[in-house]
Amino acid sequence: MTRLIGGLIDRTAPLSFSFNGKTYQGFKGDTLASALLANGVQLVGRSFKYHRPRGIFTSGSEEPNALVTLHSGARTEPNTRATVTELFDGLEASSQNHIGPLERDLLAINDRLAPLFAAGFYYKTFMWPRAFWEKLYEPAIRKAAGLGALSTLPDPDTYDKGFLHCDLLVIGGGAAGLTAALTAGRAGASVILADEDFRFGGRLLAESDLLDDSWPSEWVDRTCAELASLPNVRLMPRTTVFGTYDHGIFGAVERVSDHLPPSDEAVRQTLWRITAKRSVLAAGAIERHIPFQDNDRPGIMLAGAMRTYVNRWASAPTRNADDQVAIFTNGDGGHRTALDLLGKGVPVLGVIDTRPDAPVFGKYKVFAGATVTGTKGRLGLQAIQIRQNGQSTWLEAGALGVAGGWNPNVHLASHHRGRPVWDEDRLAFLPPKDGPKGMFPAGAAAGNGATSVALADGMRTAQQALAELGTTAGNIPLPRVTDTPDTQAAYWHVPTTKRAWVDFQNDVTVKDIALAHKENMRPVEHLKRWTTLGMATDQGKTANISALAVMAELTGATIPETGTTIFRPPYTGVSLSVLGGGNTGRHFRPYRLTPTHAWAKVQGAAFTEVGPWMRAQYFPRDGETHWRQTVDREVLSVRKDVGLCDVTTLGKIDVQGPDAAEFLNRVYANTMATLKVGMVRYGLMLREDGHLFDDGTCARLADDHFVVTTTTANAGAVYRHMEFAHQCLWPDLDVQMISTTDAWAQIAVAGPKSRQLLQRIVDGFDLSNEAFPFMACAALTVCGGLRARLFRISFSGELAYEIAVPARYGHALMERLMTLGKDLGVTPYGSEALAVLRIEKGHAAGAELNGQTTAQMLGLGKMVSAKKDSIGAVMSRREGLAQDGRRLVGLLPLEPQSQIPAGSHLFTQGAAQTMQSDQGWVTSSCYSPHLGSYIALGYLENGHDRIGEVITAANPLEGQSFAAKVVSAHFIDPEGGRLRD
Amino acid sequence: MTDLIPLTALGATELRSERFGALTIAEDDSYGLASLTLRKGQSAPTPFGLTLPEAGFATQSGSTSAIWTGPDQWLILGEGKGQTDFAAEVLAQAPQASVTEQTEGLVCFDIRSDVEVLPIAALMSKLVNLPPENYATGRATRTGLEHMTVFLYQRDERHLSILGMRSYAGSLWHALVTAAARLAQAA
Repeated sequence: MTRLIGGLIDRTAPLSFSFNGKTYQGFKGDTLASALLANGVQLVGRSFKYHRPRGIFTSGSEEPNALVTLHSGARTEPNTRATVTELFDGLEASSQNHIGPLERDLLAINDRLAPLFAAGFYYKTFMWPRAFWEKLYEPAIRKAAGLGALSTLPDPDTYDKGFLHCDLLVIGGGAAGLTAALTAGRAGASVILADEDFRFGGRLLAESDLLDDSWPSEWVDRTCAELASLPNVRLMPRTTVFGTYDHGIFGAVERVSDHLPPSDEAVRQTLWRITAKRSVLAAGAIERHIPFQDNDRPGIMLAGAMRTYVNRWASAPTRNADDQVAIFTNGDGGHRTALDLLGKGVPVLGVIDTRPDAPVFGKYKVFAGATVTGTKGRLGLQAIQIRQNGQSTWLEAGALGVAGGWNPNVHLASHHRGRPVWDEDRLAFLPPKDGPKGMFPAGAAAGNGATSVALADGMRTAQQALAELGTTAGNIPLPRVTDTPDTQAAYWHVPTTKRAWVDFQNDVTVKDIALAHKENMRPVEHLKRWTTLGMATDQGKTANISALAVMAELTGATIPETGTTIFRPPYTGVSLSVLGGGNTGRHFRPYRLTPTHAWAKVQGAAFTEVGPWMRAQYFPRDGETHWRQTVDREVLSVRKDVGLCDVTTLGKIDVQGPDAAEFLNRVYANTMATLKVGMVRYGLMLREDGHLFDDGTCARLADDHFVVTTTTANAGAVYRHMEFAHQCLWPDLDVQMISTTDAWAQIAVAGPKSRQLLQRIVDGFDLSNEAFPFMACAALTVCGGLRARLFRISFSGELAYEIAVPARYGHALMERLMTLGKDLGVTPYGSEALAVLRIEKGHAAGAELNGQTTAQMLGLGKMVSAKKDSIGAVMSRREGLAQDGRRLVGLLPLEPQSQIPAGSHLFTQGAAQTMQSDQGWVTSSCYSPHLGSYIALGYLENGHDRIGEVITAANPLEGQSFAAKVVSAHFIDPEGGRLRD
Repeated sequence: MTDLIPLTALGATELRSERFGALTIAEDDSYGLASLTLRKGQSAPTPFGLTLPEAGFATQSGSTSAIWTGPDQWLILGEGKGQTDFAAEVLAQAPQASVTEQTEGLVCFDIRSDVEVLPIAALMSKLVNLPPENYATGRATRTGLEHMTVFLYQRDERHLSILGMRSYAGSLWHALVTAAARLAQAA
């Protein structure tokens, strides 16, 4: 054990966890990384390409090395950073990307073959044969070079989503974030303070500078307590703001229960969409390292991370308590680590400072003007080589902290393409000046990282942001800090002819960058793609700037001249499950139920999705083993007796006003103004381009009151179209409209006995053909005073009606009709029989109105009135449409039991089946129990002149070809006598 | 009177109600609903003594209330009028306007809180993208909830009515109770 004294862990709450099957102990407040270090575990994984042994490198979400797999079974979660994994009792973790034990990975052979794996290796090597790309090369590479593996099982966890609004979003709860939030909170602004850590404080928890003469965590706790007491402040720990989007919108993921043992009940993560009037980016900074030869051994980590482990988690970075720790630095930061280590009783070998005039801050050895030029230790650091004054010396060391300066965390400020700006004084890229509107960087994220400066900067920035909202925020008392500003000298890498890693996660070395430079992959974006630098889960958080500096040195240009990469969301990996918002399976999207749904369910109906609706598809009876038996029976019943079908799903739009008739005349291609009160007319709507848009009926209830029906699929689109026409094209018309689709339950009563059945429910209403002819409509009452609307319209081709009652009575009306119609042979029928009935009748539906067809093709060209103007009328007369000779016809296969699939193309018999000889296509197809044969509808070139011709219907996708006779589209009752009886 | 027995929007004879901690979510079919749209040049009427509200607001007069649903368009809610021809009553009050029956077009779910406004706001933050000021008493907002159109009507600080399309009642109920159950569990 290398657990030290102090730290922000709860020693009264010990926790047990396992890593690679071995059980260890940690404490509440630990991360997996801090607990592993406290147990003397340095080796935690293998590198991506060379399978080099790797250890914990950072203490935050920027971690490139310590990627582990958590949990098991369906909850297996690969590529999780041990550095941000909050420890809980029973946590199961394992290392990844190795064959055999972690200590003896068989794929470590890749390291010996390193010369083969230079930059651009994939592009240069796996070029031919092409057939091997996907079948052999990719699977082999993925197996050898990769990270963790997915379980491939469905995700059993629960996810949630939500929306938040605030005046000020403070991103990051460190020194600047806390003072920003407190400043805004005290001023009464609504504030959200989000931090990816489970404890607020940021670097304040990692440093030993006293605030108001006490430990920084005490000030943090006091500040958080005050923030928590303010009703206008929402504290969101464990929340990563991962993206900056347009109009002040941010994406954030809250890890609600990732820190608890997995559970089937608890929400695991919540996706928040935060709308903020202003934001403060207080995301801190990420320390950079200094590449040197063999700098990737376990035990080598960032010096700032080492301070965090020592101060916050009381974990020494070494395997054994008496191992010495060395620090390699180009500035004062490294010395801070040495002092803190000494303060905790960790032996310090010394500080290797690249500056010849390196300062000394305490009782430790300083190697001034020196560098680290090599390391030893197969599975963990054992010795380092120090070069000073031209002399090289090997010294034993169990850990090495590296401090190369700090990179402000500008990620979220670049999401709108703003380019970070180089600051020569700070040796760092600062947030772009043309960053997201309303975002104010503060503290270390703005290059103001010293504790005292960051605290003041947070306050000042919040004041500035709120001033833009017209809120004056006063000063808050800032704690006294004893820190002194750090100085540093530019020093980017230690030259070597061997490998010095820049990007640990992708195994990219200084040599790779040099090779890319040599091969002219010099622009930063090319360098990235050629070497894979900055890719994968960490997106180069610890590598990008160092790589840039190396490239700058190679090209002889300055860093800003060399360029910089910008960033895209997400800041860190976001699971697809949480992006999905949590609704899966049946509730993936909302769905609509008809008023008779519960009744149909009791009848044992099969349901089908029609747009957002669930419709009864057919109603099987005992003894029926195939859906066709059921549908055939339902169809024949309608043709012989009477059937009932819930047609509520058809869109209904109530149109009123003095100009309603004129308005409908303009949106329908045919004339509606002449429609008499109490009558219904079939109508066609065209798009502006002259093609068919929708068909339906229009009923006139009064001079200034119409009810328009639409197809189920186009209900929303037609309503929108009519609103557009009214609001934008003819705002002068006095017309009002509103959807009433859901208000009325509508039931089709179809078949020769429909009148007889309806007569039994209407309250003294005369249904005779004379009093209520085909296409009549009326408001009436049924079943003892229930208000209803009756329409004598038919989709089936039979004598038929549609009866509408207030939706809550739909169920009861259906039951009543079924009871009263028993002796008439009444049968419920579903959407399937409805389709068969209309195909037999030759009525068009969605398949015939597919957006590429015209009224003329449907044989209804004359309906497009020439006596008036209407939407699409003029364009329907253009040459290309007017001369289109295709017409809707019926197709009867010569072999009655052969189904011609819808979508088949039509050809003259014997003609080559090519695009050029194409004669049309099949739109709808079904089995007609009435005819005892399969039938189809289709558009055929000059179709009306080819009745009786035998043509070929071909389905080349499945090598099918059918001979079919061209017939009228009206397979039954072409004269329409049944409708009018 | 008809002898047909009505069903609730959730497909039952009894109204559904569930409790989650301090929150109760209950189906309410007692309201008669009608849309009222002004015709050209018509000045706003005052049906049942209601002053028709501005966008984003509701007004109330006795047992009748109105919420803004569109330019020159309101939804009139008549308490206890769910089984009557409420549209005819509204038309009688505003004979110049276009009135359409909507009693069955929308389902109403009431969310009541035992304590204060916070639980309702917390629940709604999981469901709709609205700033807190939209939950002030007397506010009425047309918005989207899991891809469904809804109207939120804050009757008082402990009572929010959600009106959604009747055919979506099951999905809307599911969304509400799922969010409420999670909230109760987290508490």
